[in-house]
Amino acid sequence: MNAGLRHSFVISPATDCESELFAPIVKSIKQVFRHDSLVTPLIRDVGFALDPNRGQYHSTLILEKLAEMAPEGAVKVIALTRVDLFIPILTHVYGEAQLGGKACIVSTFRLKENLSPLTAQQTYIGRVVKEVIHELGHTFNLRHCPDSQCIMHYCRSIKDVDQKSDQLCRYCRVLIDDELRRMARG
Amino acid sequence: MRQTKILIVDDELIMRESLSGWLQRDGHYIETAVSGEEALKKLKINRFDILLVDIKMEGMSGMEVLRHVQENDPDVAVIMITAYGSISSAIEAMKNGAYDYLLKPFDPNELGVLIEKAVERQAQALENLFLKEQYKDRVRFESMIGQSRPMQEVFDLIGNVAPMNSTVLITGETGTGKGLAAKAIHTNSPKSQGPFVVVNCGAIPEHLMESELFGHQKGAFTDAWETKKGRLELAHGGTLFLDEIGEISMRMQIDLLRVLEDRVFYRVGGTQPIEADFRVITATNRNLKNAIKKGVFREDLFYRINVISFMMPPLRERKEDIPLLSEHFLHRFSKETNKPIERISRDALDEMMLYEWPGNVRELENAIERAVVVGKGPAIQSEELPISCTDGSVRPKNNSLREIEKMHIAQILNSNQWNIARTAKMLGIDRSTLYSKIKRHQIPKPS
Repeated sequence: MNAGLRHSFVISPATDCESELFAPIVKSIKQVFRHDSLVTPLIRDVGFALDPNRGQYHSTLILEKLAEMAPEGAVKVIALTRVDLFIPILTHVYGEAQLGGKACIVSTFRLKENLSPLTAQQTYIGRVVKEVIHELGHTFNLRHCPDSQCIMHYCRSIKDVDQKSDQLCRYCRVLIDDELRRMARG
Repeated sequence: MRQTKILIVDDELIMRESLSGWLQRDGHYIETAVSGEEALKKLKINRFDILLVDIKMEGMSGMEVLRHVQENDPDVAVIMITAYGSISSAIEAMKNGAYDYLLKPFDPNELGVLIEKAVERQAQALENLFLKEQYKDRVRFESMIGQSRPMQEVFDLIGNVAPMNSTVLITGETGTGKGLAAKAIHTNSPKSQGPFVVVNCGAIPEHLMESELFGHQKGAFTDAWETKKGRLELAHGGTLFLDEIGEISMRMQIDLLRVLEDRVFYRVGGTQPIEADFRVITATNRNLKNAIKKGVFREDLFYRINVISFMMPPLRERKEDIPLLSEHFLHRFSKETNKPIERISRDALDEMMLYEWPGNVRELENAIERAVVVGKGPAIQSEELPISCTDGSVRPKNNSLREIEKMHIAQILNSNQWNIARTAKMLGIDRSTLYSKIKRHQIPKPS
């Protein structure tokens, strides 16, 4: 396995994911989690998770496969996909994470809603980055945060996603730092 | 903030897992049950705030789980989960007390909002409980109970007069709770840290009254083996409650008047003046103005004790308090006697509401005590109450209070074979009062 993956976050994009998303995500991961990231497609096709009745993809199945395929030594793996995700009980999800685990996934499918033409690209990238950090936060065992500005806040609408910051609140910051320290100690 | 405890009941593993995973990320404490039966087991050992229950399950249905929760812990919010095809059963569940329902699959926002609302509702319920407890303080003032308007007025009055140092005269029939009102005034007064000394003027024989009130020096009379402090002295720094003040002799009235005016007295046989600082509360069931007219009560003493006065309402004038009082006494006596009597039957309550209660709250208290002692079932029945409204023979021809009291005393005396102690206890009065009432009403003892 690639030695560069050790102690890194792995970003696994689907083949059709916009490449301009990668750099902002890598930058944000470095800033929030103080880790480098590598972009490596681990799962190219998520067809196995398609539910033909719903026309959506079962995110939990993708997560399981992603965790299996996570390179040895990789700290976390995050899949990026353009398909619409669901879990059986819910109509849709923006993403899903293994709480306190290794893998998470974010769908960009619904993040393109209500974009203003003038700032569309910037807003869209901002949304994706926030969702990626949010789901990665769950893999560090963080729960939803009541602070509406915290990136770990659960947003009821896409408007709320736009309004929250791309930073952790000071409480979630402390919790992440604890987890990072624990991880460093092995 | 405390974590919300949620129990997910669904026989499909995938549903349990996806829902619990989702809710865990919201920071809730989650447990799951694969069946209704397992849910009931978990509910026996753990209390949950919210239950998410699939309506259609193998074995025990979601509706049965809902029924169980409604019967055992109706404060738990039960959210039913159902498929689109079975919405009618979800509506049925709502009618049976479910908090809400969700149609599978549901929007994540819908679930979040519903959980938030359920948590808010439970917080509101707690708040209401707190307010209810506060309201209870109004229903219960110290040891007095009553939500009727007359009692609310009494509570207000006590609240107003307690902080003052003025002498209070409490009037009212026997058993209306004059003593409890006096105690409530004392407890809420600046002298509450001091003693509350009770003198039952009707129960102490005339020849002992002086010594009882003022104390005596050693050798003051034949049986005075040692110096004894009187009740007035013992009340220093607190409240002296002179119950049945209408019963004291003219001679004692003179002594008492002097004490109330000068706050100085002498022990029997003593030469040293004793000063005592106490508040005086008096009570009587007699009409003192009539007593003054008849020349058996001193007018100057009346004005001295009648600075502030109020009347304790008879129970027949606040019958709406009977269920509350009965429940209170039932709870107390069933606990004391360790008998699992939980309620009062509708018939018994109707009987109590019709009855005039000449012995007032004390008679009600005694009636419930007796019913608990003789009662056999989980509810008090009308025949277990020592009252009768259906038997025409106990109804007096004219409805004057005096006649009702006479008939009632005679009936209780006869039912107790003229056992004075038992009759007095049942009527809620002391023996001397019973004797004086027998004499006053000229109740003949059967030969």
